Amino acid sequence: MSKRTLPRLLQSPAVLLLLVWMLVPLGMTLYFSFIRYVLNSLRRPEWTKPSLSNWRGFGNYEFVMSSKDFWFAIQNSLFIVCSILFATVILGILIAILINRVFPGRGIVRVLLISPFFVMPAVNAVLWINMILDPVLGLNGLAVAGINDLVASLQSAPLVGGFFSLWPEFEPISFRATQTSAYAVIMMVTWQWTPFAVLIFMTSLQSEDQQQKEAAVLDGAGVWSQFRFLTLPHLGRPIAIVVMIQAIFHLSLYAEIEIVSRGNGNKNLPYLIGEFANNNIGAASATGIFAVILANIVAIFLLRMVGKTLME
Amino acid sequence: MAIVAPPSKFGKVGRPVLAWAVGLMFFFPIFWMILTSFKTDADAVKPEFLFVFKPTLENYLNMTENYDYWRFAKNSVITAVAATLFTLFIGIPCAYAMAFNPSRATKDVLMWMLSTKMLPAAAVLYPMTFLTKSLGLFDTHFLVILVLSLINLPIVVWMLFTYFKEIPKDIIEAGQMDGVNTWGEFKEILVPLAWGGIVSTALLCFIFCWNEAYWTVRLTTTDAATLSKLIEGNRAPEGLFFGRLSAVSAAAVGPIIILGWFCQKQLVQGLTFGAVK
Repeated sequence: MSKRTLPRLLQSPAVLLLLVWMLVPLGMTLYFSFIRYVLNSLRRPEWTKPSLSNWRGFGNYEFVMSSKDFWFAIQNSLFIVCSILFATVILGILIAILINRVFPGRGIVRVLLISPFFVMPAVNAVLWINMILDPVLGLNGLAVAGINDLVASLQSAPLVGGFFSLWPEFEPISFRATQTSAYAVIMMVTWQWTPFAVLIFMTSLQSEDQQQKEAAVLDGAGVWSQFRFLTLPHLGRPIAIVVMIQAIFHLSLYAEIEIVSRGNGNKNLPYLIGEFANNNIGAASATGIFAVILANIVAIFLLRMVGKTLME
Repeated sequence: MAIVAPPSKFGKVGRPVLAWAVGLMFFFPIFWMILTSFKTDADAVKPEFLFVFKPTLENYLNMTENYDYWRFAKNSVITAVAATLFTLFIGIPCAYAMAFNPSRATKDVLMWMLSTKMLPAAAVLYPMTFLTKSLGLFDTHFLVILVLSLINLPIVVWMLFTYFKEIPKDIIEAGQMDGVNTWGEFKEILVPLAWGGIVSTALLCFIFCWNEAYWTVRLTTTDAATLSKLIEGNRAPEGLFFGRLSAVSAAAVGPIIILGWFCQKQLVQGLTFGAVK
Protein backbone atom coordinates (compact mmCIF):
# COMPACT_ATOMS: atom_id res chain seq x y z
CA MET A 1 0.00 0.00 0.00
CA SER A 2 1.53 3.31 -1.00
CA LYS A 3 1.85 6.20 1.41
CA ARG A 4 -1.01 8.05 -0.25
CA THR A 5 -3.54 5.25 -0.24
CA LEU A 6 -4.37 5.06 3.45
CA PRO A 7 -5.17 8.77 3.93
CA ARG A 8 -7.40 8.64 0.86
CA LEU A 9 -9.13 5.58 2.18
CA LEU A 10 -9.75 7.27 5.53
CA GLN A 11 -11.26 10.33 3.87
CA SER A 12 -13.37 8.55 1.32
CA PRO A 13 -16.47 7.66 3.41
CA ALA A 14 -16.99 11.27 4.46
CA VAL A 15 -16.27 12.63 0.99
CA LEU A 16 -18.44 10.10 -0.81
CA LEU A 17 -21.39 10.51 1.55
CA LEU A 18 -21.30 14.27 1.20
CA LEU A 19 -20.91 14.02 -2.55
CA VAL A 20 -24.03 11.86 -2.87
CA TRP A 21 -25.91 14.06 -0.40
CA MET A 22 -25.07 17.13 -2.43
CA LEU A 23 -25.32 15.88 -5.99
CA VAL A 24 -28.33 13.57 -6.04
CA PRO A 25 -31.05 15.80 -4.54
CA LEU A 26 -29.65 18.92 -6.17
CA GLY A 27 -29.47 17.17 -9.52
CA MET A 28 -33.09 16.14 -9.14
CA THR A 29 -34.10 19.69 -8.24
CA LEU A 30 -32.32 20.96 -11.33
CA TYR A 31 -34.04 18.36 -13.49
CA PHE A 32 -37.51 19.04 -12.03
CA SER A 33 -37.03 22.75 -12.55
CA PHE A 34 -36.92 22.23 -16.32
CA ILE A 35 -39.97 19.98 -16.68
CA ARG A 36 -43.68 20.31 -16.09
CA TYR A 37 -44.33 18.36 -12.92
CA VAL A 38 -47.36 18.67 -10.66
CA LEU A 39 -48.62 16.26 -8.00
CA ASN A 40 -52.32 16.48 -8.89
CA SER A 41 -53.78 17.36 -12.21
CA LEU A 42 -57.12 16.02 -13.48
CA ARG A 43 -56.77 17.85 -16.76
CA ARG A 44 -53.20 16.80 -17.60
CA PRO A 45 -52.49 13.51 -15.80
CA GLU A 46 -49.29 13.05 -17.84
CA TRP A 47 -47.73 15.92 -15.86
CA THR A 48 -47.97 14.03 -12.58
CA LYS A 49 -44.98 11.82 -13.45
CA PRO A 50 -41.51 13.30 -13.88
CA SER A 51 -40.54 12.71 -17.50
CA LEU A 52 -38.33 14.32 -20.10
CA SER A 53 -41.27 14.46 -22.51
CA ASN A 54 -42.75 17.19 -20.29
CA TRP A 55 -39.74 19.41 -20.93
CA ARG A 56 -40.54 23.04 -20.24
CA GLY A 57 -37.15 24.75 -20.66
CA PHE A 58 -37.04 27.91 -18.63
CA GLY A 59 -40.82 27.99 -18.39
CA ASN A 60 -40.86 27.27 -14.64
CA TYR A 61 -38.34 30.03 -14.05
CA GLU A 62 -40.46 32.46 -16.05
CA PHE A 63 -43.55 31.36 -14.15
CA VAL A 64 -41.83 31.89 -10.81
CA MET A 65 -40.36 35.23 -11.79
CA SER A 66 -43.74 36.50 -12.95
CA SER A 67 -45.39 35.60 -9.65
CA LYS A 68 -45.85 38.38 -7.13
CA ASP A 69 -45.21 35.98 -4.24
CA PHE A 70 -41.70 35.27 -5.47
CA TRP A 71 -40.58 38.87 -5.49
CA PHE A 72 -42.27 39.46 -2.19
CA ALA A 73 -40.50 36.41 -0.74
CA ILE A 74 -37.08 37.62 -1.93
CA GLN A 75 -37.73 41.08 -0.57
CA ASN A 76 -39.02 39.68 2.71
CA SER A 77 -36.10 37.22 3.03
CA LEU A 78 -33.66 40.09 2.62
CA PHE A 79 -35.62 42.35 4.96
CA ILE A 80 -35.66 39.74 7.71
CA VAL A 81 -31.99 38.79 7.29
CA CYS A 82 -30.74 42.39 7.14
CA SER A 83 -32.79 43.49 10.16
CA ILE A 84 -31.54 40.58 12.24
CA LEU A 85 -27.94 41.19 11.16
CA PHE A 86 -28.12 44.87 11.97
CA ALA A 87 -29.63 44.28 15.40
CA THR A 88 -27.39 41.37 16.42
CA VAL A 89 -24.14 43.05 15.35
CA ILE A 90 -24.89 46.34 17.14
CA LEU A 91 -26.20 44.64 20.28
CA GLY A 92 -23.42 42.07 20.12
CA ILE A 93 -20.65 44.69 20.08
CA LEU A 94 -22.22 46.75 22.86
CA ILE A 95 -22.79 43.77 25.14
CA ALA A 96 -19.39 42.21 24.41
CA ILE A 97 -17.66 45.46 25.39
CA LEU A 98 -19.87 45.76 28.45
CA ILE A 99 -18.96 42.36 29.86
CA ASN A 100 -15.36 42.29 28.68
CA ARG A 101 -14.16 43.54 32.09
CA VAL A 102 -14.09 41.63 35.34
CA PHE A 103 -17.04 42.35 37.62
CA PRO A 104 -18.81 40.41 40.35
CA GLY A 105 -20.82 37.54 38.91
CA ARG A 106 -19.42 37.82 35.39
CA GLY A 107 -19.50 34.06 34.91
CA ILE A 108 -23.19 33.90 35.79
CA VAL A 109 -24.02 36.81 33.48
CA ARG A 110 -22.25 35.01 30.66
CA VAL A 111 -24.27 31.87 31.29
CA LEU A 112 -27.53 33.83 31.39
CA LEU A 113 -26.61 35.63 28.18
CA ILE A 114 -25.63 32.58 26.15
CA SER A 115 -28.67 30.48 27.10
CA PRO A 116 -31.08 31.69 24.37
CA PHE A 117 -28.74 30.36 21.71
CA PHE A 118 -29.38 26.77 22.76
CA VAL A 119 -33.17 26.98 22.69
CA MET A 120 -34.53 24.96 19.78
CA PRO A 121 -36.12 27.14 17.09
CA ALA A 122 -39.56 25.58 17.50
CA VAL A 123 -39.62 26.31 21.24
CA ASN A 124 -38.28 29.81 20.65
CA ALA A 125 -41.14 30.61 18.27
CA VAL A 126 -43.87 28.97 20.36
CA LEU A 127 -42.65 30.69 23.52
CA TRP A 128 -42.45 34.16 21.99
CA ILE A 129 -45.62 34.17 19.92
CA ASN A 130 -47.80 32.71 22.70
CA MET A 131 -46.50 33.41 26.16
CA ILE A 132 -44.87 36.74 25.38
CA LEU A 133 -46.37 38.40 22.30
CA ASP A 134 -49.98 37.21 22.40
CA PRO A 135 -52.14 40.37 22.25
CA VAL A 136 -54.60 39.16 24.88
CA LEU A 137 -53.10 36.47 27.08
CA GLY A 138 -49.35 36.96 26.56
CA LEU A 139 -47.22 39.43 28.46
CA ASN A 140 -47.80 41.89 25.62
CA GLY A 141 -51.57 41.83 26.13
CA LEU A 142 -51.35 41.78 29.92
CA ALA A 143 -48.97 44.75 29.98
CA VAL A 144 -51.15 46.86 27.69
CA ALA A 145 -54.24 45.96 29.72
CA GLY A 146 -52.37 46.93 32.87
CA ILE A 147 -51.42 50.32 31.45
CA ASN A 148 -55.03 50.94 30.36
CA ASP A 149 -56.29 50.11 33.86
CA LEU A 150 -53.73 52.40 35.41
CA VAL A 151 -54.67 55.28 33.09
CA ALA A 152 -58.37 54.65 33.76
CA SER A 153 -57.84 54.78 37.51
CA LEU A 154 -55.78 57.96 37.21
CA GLN A 155 -58.54 59.66 35.22
CA SER A 156 -60.65 60.02 38.34
CA ALA A 157 -57.74 61.26 40.42
CA PRO A 158 -57.73 64.90 41.54
CA LEU A 159 -55.51 67.43 39.73
CA VAL A 160 -53.92 65.05 37.16
CA GLY A 161 -57.24 63.41 36.19
CA GLY A 162 -57.93 65.97 33.50
CA PHE A 163 -54.58 65.29 31.90
CA PHE A 164 -55.03 61.51 31.90
CA SER A 165 -58.55 61.66 30.50
CA LEU A 166 -57.00 63.01 27.31
CA TRP A 167 -55.07 59.72 26.90
CA PRO A 168 -56.39 57.21 24.41
CA GLU A 169 -56.96 53.57 25.25
CA PHE A 170 -53.94 51.56 24.10
CA GLU A 171 -54.36 48.64 21.73
CA PRO A 172 -51.95 45.71 21.99
CA ILE A 173 -50.21 44.81 18.73
CA SER A 174 -51.06 41.41 17.31
CA PHE A 175 -47.90 39.81 15.98
CA ARG A 176 -49.70 37.14 14.01
CA ALA A 177 -51.11 39.74 11.63
CA THR A 178 -50.03 40.18 8.01
CA GLN A 179 -48.18 43.44 8.65
CA THR A 180 -46.44 42.48 11.86
CA SER A 181 -45.50 38.80 11.69
CA ALA A 182 -42.12 39.59 10.13
CA TYR A 183 -41.30 41.77 13.15
CA ALA A 184 -42.13 38.93 15.51
CA VAL A 185 -39.72 36.66 13.63
CA ILE A 186 -37.02 39.33 13.65
CA MET A 187 -37.47 39.82 17.39
CA MET A 188 -37.24 36.16 18.33
CA VAL A 189 -34.30 35.38 16.07
CA THR A 190 -32.43 38.47 17.28
CA TRP A 191 -32.98 37.28 20.84
CA GLN A 192 -31.57 33.88 19.92
CA TRP A 193 -28.57 35.01 17.87
CA THR A 194 -27.35 38.07 19.77
CA PRO A 195 -25.66 35.70 22.26
CA PHE A 196 -23.78 34.14 19.37
CA ALA A 197 -22.49 37.54 18.25
CA VAL A 198 -21.58 38.43 21.86
CA LEU A 199 -19.65 35.19 22.27
CA ILE A 200 -17.63 35.71 19.11
CA PHE A 201 -16.93 39.38 19.72
CA MET A 202 -15.91 38.62 23.30
CA THR A 203 -13.51 35.91 22.17
CA SER A 204 -12.02 38.35 19.74
CA LEU A 205 -11.81 41.23 22.26
CA GLN A 206 -9.73 39.04 24.53
CA SER A 207 -6.98 38.95 21.95
CA GLU A 208 -6.99 42.74 21.59
CA ASP A 209 -3.58 44.34 22.08
CA GLN A 210 -3.73 45.85 25.58
CA GLN A 211 -0.38 47.61 25.33
CA GLN A 212 -1.53 49.48 22.28
CA LYS A 213 -4.57 50.57 24.23
CA GLU A 214 -2.48 51.73 27.17
CA ALA A 215 -0.30 53.71 24.81
CA ALA A 216 -3.41 55.32 23.36
CA VAL A 217 -4.62 56.22 26.88
CA LEU A 218 -1.24 57.81 27.64
CA ASP A 219 -1.54 59.83 24.45
CA GLY A 220 -4.85 61.11 25.76
CA ALA A 221 -7.18 59.12 23.54
CA GLY A 222 -10.78 59.21 24.78
CA VAL A 223 -13.08 56.24 25.14
CA TRP A 224 -14.74 56.92 21.79
CA SER A 225 -11.54 57.23 19.80
CA GLN A 226 -10.14 54.08 21.46
CA PHE A 227 -13.25 52.30 20.26
CA ARG A 228 -13.29 53.88 16.83
CA PHE A 229 -9.61 53.48 15.95
CA LEU A 230 -8.54 50.39 17.93
CA THR A 231 -11.45 48.15 18.91
CA LEU A 232 -13.60 48.51 15.80
CA PRO A 233 -10.80 47.69 13.33
CA HIS A 234 -9.84 44.75 15.54
CA LEU A 235 -13.42 43.49 15.34
CA GLY A 236 -13.64 43.88 11.56
CA ARG A 237 -13.01 40.25 10.76
CA PRO A 238 -15.27 38.76 13.47
CA ILE A 239 -18.04 41.11 12.34
CA ALA A 240 -17.69 39.88 8.77
CA ILE A 241 -17.82 36.28 9.95
CA VAL A 242 -20.85 36.86 12.19
CA VAL A 243 -22.64 38.57 9.31
CA MET A 244 -21.97 35.83 6.82
CA ILE A 245 -22.66 32.84 9.05
CA GLN A 246 -25.91 34.39 10.18
CA ALA A 247 -26.87 35.31 6.62
CA ILE A 248 -26.54 31.66 5.62
CA PHE A 249 -28.56 30.44 8.60
CA HIS A 250 -31.30 33.05 8.35
CA LEU A 251 -31.80 32.78 4.60
CA SER A 252 -33.22 29.35 5.39
CA LEU A 253 -35.41 30.29 8.37
CA TYR A 254 -38.40 28.04 8.41
CA ALA A 255 -39.79 26.89 11.75
CA GLU A 256 -40.23 30.42 13.11
CA ILE A 257 -42.12 31.58 10.01
CA GLU A 258 -44.36 28.53 10.06
CA ILE A 259 -45.15 28.84 13.76
CA VAL A 260 -45.71 32.60 13.92
CA SER A 261 -48.22 32.99 11.12
CA ARG A 262 -48.03 30.04 8.73
CA GLY A 263 -46.35 32.41 6.32
CA ASN A 264 -49.29 34.81 6.36
CA GLY A 265 -47.86 38.07 5.00
CA ASN A 266 -44.41 36.80 5.86
CA LYS A 267 -43.19 34.27 3.32
CA ASN A 268 -39.49 33.86 2.70
CA LEU A 269 -37.93 31.73 -0.01
CA PRO A 270 -37.87 28.43 1.93
CA TYR A 271 -41.47 28.94 2.94
CA LEU A 272 -42.53 29.71 -0.63
CA ILE A 273 -40.75 26.58 -1.84
CA GLY A 274 -42.66 24.56 0.76
CA GLU A 275 -45.93 26.02 -0.51
CA PHE A 276 -45.16 25.36 -4.17
CA ALA A 277 -44.09 21.83 -3.24
CA ASN A 278 -47.64 21.05 -2.14
CA ASN A 279 -48.47 20.70 -5.82
CA ASN A 280 -46.31 22.48 -8.39
CA ILE A 281 -42.96 20.69 -8.12
CA GLY A 282 -41.60 22.42 -11.23
CA ALA A 283 -42.09 25.85 -9.68
CA ALA A 284 -40.82 24.69 -6.28
CA SER A 285 -37.64 23.41 -7.92
CA ALA A 286 -37.07 26.59 -9.92
CA THR A 287 -37.51 28.63 -6.72
CA GLY A 288 -35.07 26.25 -5.03
CA ILE A 289 -32.46 26.98 -7.68
CA PHE A 290 -32.92 30.70 -7.06
CA ALA A 291 -32.41 30.07 -3.34
CA VAL A 292 -29.21 28.17 -4.07
CA ILE A 293 -27.92 31.05 -6.17
CA LEU A 294 -28.75 33.56 -3.44
CA ALA A 295 -27.03 31.46 -0.77
CA ASN A 296 -23.99 30.97 -2.98
CA ILE A 297 -23.47 34.68 -3.42
CA VAL A 298 -23.19 34.94 0.38
CA ALA A 299 -21.19 31.74 0.71
CA ILE A 300 -18.46 32.71 -1.73
CA PHE A 301 -17.50 35.63 0.48
CA LEU A 302 -17.48 33.45 3.60
CA LEU A 303 -15.33 30.77 2.01
CA ARG A 304 -12.81 33.37 0.94
CA MET A 305 -12.61 34.72 4.49
CA VAL A 306 -12.25 31.32 6.12
CA GLY A 307 -9.89 30.03 3.46
CA LYS A 308 -7.29 32.64 4.35
CA THR A 309 -6.87 31.39 7.91
CA LEU A 310 -7.19 27.73 7.14
CA MET A 311 -3.59 26.66 6.84
CA GLU A 312 -2.07 29.06 9.36
CA MET B 1 4.69 47.47 33.66
CA ALA B 2 1.03 47.66 32.92
CA ILE B 3 -0.59 50.99 33.47
CA VAL B 4 -3.94 50.55 35.11
CA ALA B 5 -6.37 53.37 34.48
CA PRO B 6 -8.15 54.42 37.69
CA PRO B 7 -11.60 52.84 37.64
CA SER B 8 -14.23 55.40 36.83
CA LYS B 9 -17.49 55.62 38.71
CA PHE B 10 -19.21 53.83 35.84
CA GLY B 11 -16.72 51.00 35.95
CA LYS B 12 -17.26 50.38 39.65
CA VAL B 13 -21.04 50.39 39.88
CA GLY B 14 -22.64 51.13 36.53
CA ARG B 15 -20.99 48.40 34.51
CA PRO B 16 -21.90 45.48 36.80
CA VAL B 17 -25.44 46.75 37.22
CA LEU B 18 -25.94 47.26 33.50
CA ALA B 19 -24.31 43.91 32.64
CA TRP B 20 -26.52 42.08 35.12
CA ALA B 21 -29.60 43.87 33.73
CA VAL B 22 -28.73 42.81 30.18
CA GLY B 23 -28.04 39.22 31.26
CA LEU B 24 -31.31 38.96 33.13
CA MET B 25 -33.20 40.53 30.23
CA PHE B 26 -31.88 37.93 27.80
CA PHE B 27 -32.66 35.13 30.20
CA PHE B 28 -36.12 36.46 31.00
CA PRO B 29 -38.08 34.59 28.27
CA ILE B 30 -36.59 31.30 29.44
CA PHE B 31 -37.29 32.20 33.06
CA TRP B 32 -40.83 33.09 32.08
CA MET B 33 -41.32 29.77 30.34
CA ILE B 34 -40.09 27.91 33.43
CA LEU B 35 -42.26 30.03 35.73
CA THR B 36 -45.35 29.47 33.56
CA SER B 37 -44.68 25.74 33.51
CA PHE B 38 -45.43 25.64 37.25
CA LYS B 39 -48.83 27.32 36.86
CA THR B 40 -52.08 25.58 36.04
CA ASP B 41 -53.42 26.34 32.55
CA ALA B 42 -56.10 28.51 34.12
CA ASP B 43 -53.69 30.49 36.31
CA ALA B 44 -51.18 30.97 33.48
CA VAL B 45 -53.33 33.59 31.72
CA LYS B 46 -54.59 35.48 34.76
CA PRO B 47 -52.85 38.79 35.41
CA GLU B 48 -53.31 38.46 39.19
CA PHE B 49 -51.08 35.36 39.16
CA LEU B 50 -48.21 36.85 37.13
CA PHE B 51 -45.53 36.32 39.74
CA VAL B 52 -47.36 35.13 42.83
CA PHE B 53 -49.22 31.86 42.39
CA LYS B 54 -49.57 28.40 43.86
CA PRO B 55 -46.91 26.31 42.10
CA THR B 56 -47.95 22.94 40.78
CA LEU B 57 -46.12 20.04 39.20
CA GLU B 58 -49.17 18.77 37.34
CA ASN B 59 -47.95 20.05 33.96
CA TYR B 60 -44.81 17.97 34.25
CA LEU B 61 -46.59 14.95 35.69
CA ASN B 62 -49.15 15.00 32.85
CA MET B 63 -46.64 15.48 30.04
CA THR B 64 -47.08 11.92 28.82
CA GLU B 65 -50.84 12.14 28.88
CA ASN B 66 -51.03 15.58 27.26
CA TYR B 67 -48.31 15.37 24.66
CA ASP B 68 -46.84 11.86 24.70
CA TYR B 69 -43.63 13.69 25.59
CA TRP B 70 -41.44 10.67 26.31
CA ARG B 71 -42.04 9.08 22.91
CA PHE B 72 -40.78 12.22 21.16
CA ALA B 73 -37.98 12.66 23.69
CA LYS B 74 -36.91 9.07 23.11
CA ASN B 75 -36.78 9.70 19.35
CA SER B 76 -34.75 12.87 19.92
CA VAL B 77 -32.27 11.04 22.12
CA ILE B 78 -31.95 8.06 19.79
CA THR B 79 -31.49 10.11 16.63
CA ALA B 80 -29.17 12.72 18.16
CA VAL B 81 -26.94 10.17 19.90
CA ALA B 82 -26.77 7.84 16.91
CA ALA B 83 -26.14 10.69 14.48
CA THR B 84 -23.39 12.09 16.70
CA LEU B 85 -21.67 8.71 16.98
CA PHE B 86 -21.96 8.02 13.28
CA THR B 87 -20.67 11.48 12.37
CA LEU B 88 -17.65 11.00 14.64
CA PHE B 89 -17.08 7.53 13.24
CA ILE B 90 -16.87 8.94 9.71
CA GLY B 91 -15.40 12.30 10.65
CA ILE B 92 -12.49 11.31 12.91
CA PRO B 93 -10.61 9.23 10.29
CA CYS B 94 -11.23 11.92 7.71
CA ALA B 95 -9.96 14.77 9.91
CA TYR B 96 -7.05 12.59 11.04
CA ALA B 97 -5.91 11.97 7.47
CA MET B 98 -6.34 15.63 6.59
CA ALA B 99 -4.39 16.89 9.57
CA PHE B 100 -1.45 14.47 9.45
CA ASN B 101 -1.18 13.60 5.78
CA PRO B 102 -2.35 16.73 4.02
CA SER B 103 -2.14 16.68 0.27
CA ARG B 104 -2.48 19.59 -2.09
CA ALA B 105 -6.19 18.86 -2.40
CA THR B 106 -6.89 18.90 1.36
CA LYS B 107 -7.68 22.58 1.54
CA ASP B 108 -10.06 22.36 -1.39
CA VAL B 109 -11.80 19.31 0.02
CA LEU B 110 -12.33 21.09 3.34
CA MET B 111 -13.71 24.13 1.55
CA TRP B 112 -15.99 22.00 -0.55
CA MET B 113 -17.29 20.24 2.57
CA LEU B 114 -18.12 23.57 4.09
CA SER B 115 -19.90 24.64 0.93
CA THR B 116 -22.33 21.70 1.19
CA LYS B 117 -23.42 23.23 4.49
CA MET B 118 -24.48 26.35 2.63
CA LEU B 119 -26.89 24.60 0.35
CA PRO B 120 -30.34 25.82 1.42
CA ALA B 121 -32.26 22.79 2.68
CA ALA B 122 -35.51 23.97 1.14
CA ALA B 123 -34.03 23.76 -2.35
CA VAL B 124 -33.92 19.98 -2.15
CA LEU B 125 -37.13 19.54 -0.15
CA TYR B 126 -39.13 17.78 -2.82
CA PRO B 127 -36.39 15.45 -4.08
CA MET B 128 -35.73 14.39 -0.50
CA THR B 129 -39.41 13.71 0.14
CA PHE B 130 -39.70 11.87 -3.16
CA LEU B 131 -36.55 9.77 -2.66
CA THR B 132 -37.26 8.83 0.93
CA LYS B 133 -40.87 7.93 0.20
CA SER B 134 -39.98 5.77 -2.77
CA LEU B 135 -37.19 4.04 -0.83
CA GLY B 136 -39.55 3.46 2.10
CA LEU B 137 -37.34 5.49 4.41
CA PHE B 138 -39.76 8.33 5.15
CA ASP B 139 -40.43 8.76 8.88
CA THR B 140 -37.81 6.21 9.98
CA HIS B 141 -35.10 6.62 12.59
CA PHE B 142 -32.55 5.52 10.00
CA LEU B 143 -33.41 8.44 7.73
CA VAL B 144 -33.35 11.06 10.50
CA ILE B 145 -30.01 9.74 11.75
CA LEU B 146 -28.56 9.80 8.24
CA VAL B 147 -29.76 13.32 7.46
CA LEU B 148 -28.62 14.71 10.82
CA SER B 149 -25.20 13.09 10.28
CA LEU B 150 -24.82 14.54 6.82
CA ILE B 151 -25.75 18.08 7.76
CA ASN B 152 -23.33 18.04 10.70
CA LEU B 153 -20.46 16.15 9.09
CA PRO B 154 -18.78 19.26 7.59
CA ILE B 155 -18.75 21.09 10.94
CA VAL B 156 -17.50 18.01 12.77
CA VAL B 157 -14.66 17.43 10.29
CA TRP B 158 -13.70 21.09 10.50
CA MET B 159 -13.67 21.18 14.28
CA LEU B 160 -11.71 17.95 14.59
CA PHE B 161 -9.30 19.16 11.94
CA THR B 162 -8.58 22.34 13.89
CA TYR B 163 -7.98 20.29 17.06
CA PHE B 164 -5.79 17.66 15.39
CA LYS B 165 -3.73 20.34 13.69
CA GLU B 166 -2.62 21.57 17.12
CA ILE B 167 -0.98 18.22 17.94
CA PRO B 168 2.75 18.35 17.17
CA LYS B 169 3.64 16.10 14.28
CA ASP B 170 6.85 15.05 16.06
CA ILE B 171 4.86 12.97 18.51
CA ILE B 172 3.23 11.02 15.73
CA GLU B 173 6.53 10.61 13.92
CA ALA B 174 8.24 9.40 17.10
CA GLY B 175 5.51 6.81 17.38
CA GLN B 176 6.11 5.71 13.80
CA MET B 177 9.82 5.35 14.55
CA ASP B 178 8.96 3.02 17.38
CA GLY B 179 7.07 0.88 14.91
CA VAL B 180 3.55 1.76 15.97
CA ASN B 181 1.09 1.04 13.17
CA THR B 182 -1.64 3.44 12.06
CA TRP B 183 -4.29 1.97 14.30
CA GLY B 184 -1.97 2.05 17.30
CA GLU B 185 -0.88 5.58 16.46
CA PHE B 186 -4.50 6.54 16.34
CA LYS B 187 -5.56 4.76 19.51
CA GLU B 188 -2.50 5.30 21.68
CA ILE B 189 -1.41 8.78 20.63
CA LEU B 190 -4.09 10.75 18.83
CA VAL B 191 -7.20 9.91 20.80
CA PRO B 192 -5.68 10.52 24.26
CA LEU B 193 -4.13 13.80 23.11
CA ALA B 194 -7.22 15.14 21.35
CA TRP B 195 -9.75 13.69 23.78
CA GLY B 196 -10.98 17.11 24.95
CA GLY B 197 -11.46 18.26 21.40
CA ILE B 198 -13.34 15.11 20.43
CA VAL B 199 -15.66 15.39 23.41
CA SER B 200 -16.53 19.02 22.77
CA THR B 201 -17.08 18.32 19.09
CA ALA B 202 -19.45 15.52 20.06
CA LEU B 203 -21.35 17.75 22.50
CA LEU B 204 -21.79 20.48 19.93
CA CYS B 205 -22.86 18.00 17.26
CA PHE B 206 -25.40 16.55 19.70
CA ILE B 207 -26.82 20.03 20.38
CA PHE B 208 -27.18 20.80 16.68
CA CYS B 209 -28.91 17.45 16.07
CA TRP B 210 -31.30 17.98 18.97
CA ASN B 211 -32.30 21.47 17.80
CA GLU B 212 -32.60 20.73 14.08
CA ALA B 213 -36.00 21.88 12.89
CA TYR B 214 -36.28 21.59 9.14
CA TRP B 215 -35.69 18.01 8.10
CA THR B 216 -36.93 16.55 11.36
CA VAL B 217 -40.22 18.37 10.78
CA ARG B 218 -40.56 17.77 7.06
CA LEU B 219 -39.38 14.15 6.82
CA THR B 220 -41.24 12.64 9.77
CA THR B 221 -44.86 12.19 10.77
CA THR B 222 -45.13 9.98 13.86
CA ASP B 223 -42.69 7.06 14.17
CA ALA B 224 -39.45 9.04 14.10
CA ALA B 225 -40.86 12.45 15.09
CA THR B 226 -38.56 14.39 17.42
CA LEU B 227 -39.25 17.10 19.99
CA SER B 228 -38.99 19.80 17.31
CA LYS B 229 -41.90 18.15 15.53
CA LEU B 230 -43.87 17.86 18.78
CA ILE B 231 -43.52 21.55 19.62
CA GLU B 232 -44.15 22.63 16.04
CA GLY B 233 -47.36 20.61 16.03
CA ASN B 234 -48.66 22.48 19.10
CA ARG B 235 -47.81 25.92 17.83
CA ALA B 236 -51.07 27.72 18.51
CA PRO B 237 -52.85 26.63 21.65
CA GLU B 238 -55.06 29.76 21.52
CA GLY B 239 -54.07 30.61 25.06
CA LEU B 240 -55.72 27.56 26.49
CA PHE B 241 -52.71 25.51 27.43
CA PHE B 242 -49.91 27.93 28.30
CA GLY B 243 -49.06 26.00 31.45
CA ARG B 244 -48.70 22.58 29.91
CA LEU B 245 -47.10 23.95 26.73
CA SER B 246 -44.48 25.76 28.83
CA ALA B 247 -43.74 22.58 30.74
CA VAL B 248 -43.19 20.48 27.63
CA SER B 249 -41.10 23.26 26.04
CA ALA B 250 -38.95 23.58 29.16
CA ALA B 251 -38.47 19.82 29.18
CA ALA B 252 -37.45 19.93 25.52
CA VAL B 253 -34.79 22.64 25.88
CA GLY B 254 -33.64 22.30 29.50
CA PRO B 255 -31.06 19.53 29.05
CA ILE B 256 -29.61 21.20 25.98
CA ILE B 257 -29.22 24.61 27.60
CA ILE B 258 -27.28 23.03 30.46
CA LEU B 259 -25.14 21.08 28.00
CA GLY B 260 -24.59 24.28 26.05
CA TRP B 261 -23.18 26.04 29.11
CA PHE B 262 -20.32 23.55 29.07
CA CYS B 263 -19.30 24.11 25.48
CA GLN B 264 -19.60 27.86 24.99
CA LYS B 265 -15.98 28.14 24.01
CA GLN B 266 -16.06 25.31 21.51
CA LEU B 267 -19.10 26.92 19.98
CA VAL B 268 -17.01 29.82 18.76
CA GLN B 269 -14.49 27.51 17.18
CA GLY B 270 -17.14 25.21 15.75
CA LEU B 271 -19.37 27.81 14.21
CA THR B 272 -16.63 30.03 12.84
CA PHE B 273 -14.61 27.06 11.56
CA GLY B 274 -11.62 28.12 13.59
CA ALA B 275 -11.45 31.55 11.99
CA VAL B 276 -12.02 33.42 15.29
CA LYS B 277 -9.81 32.49 18.21
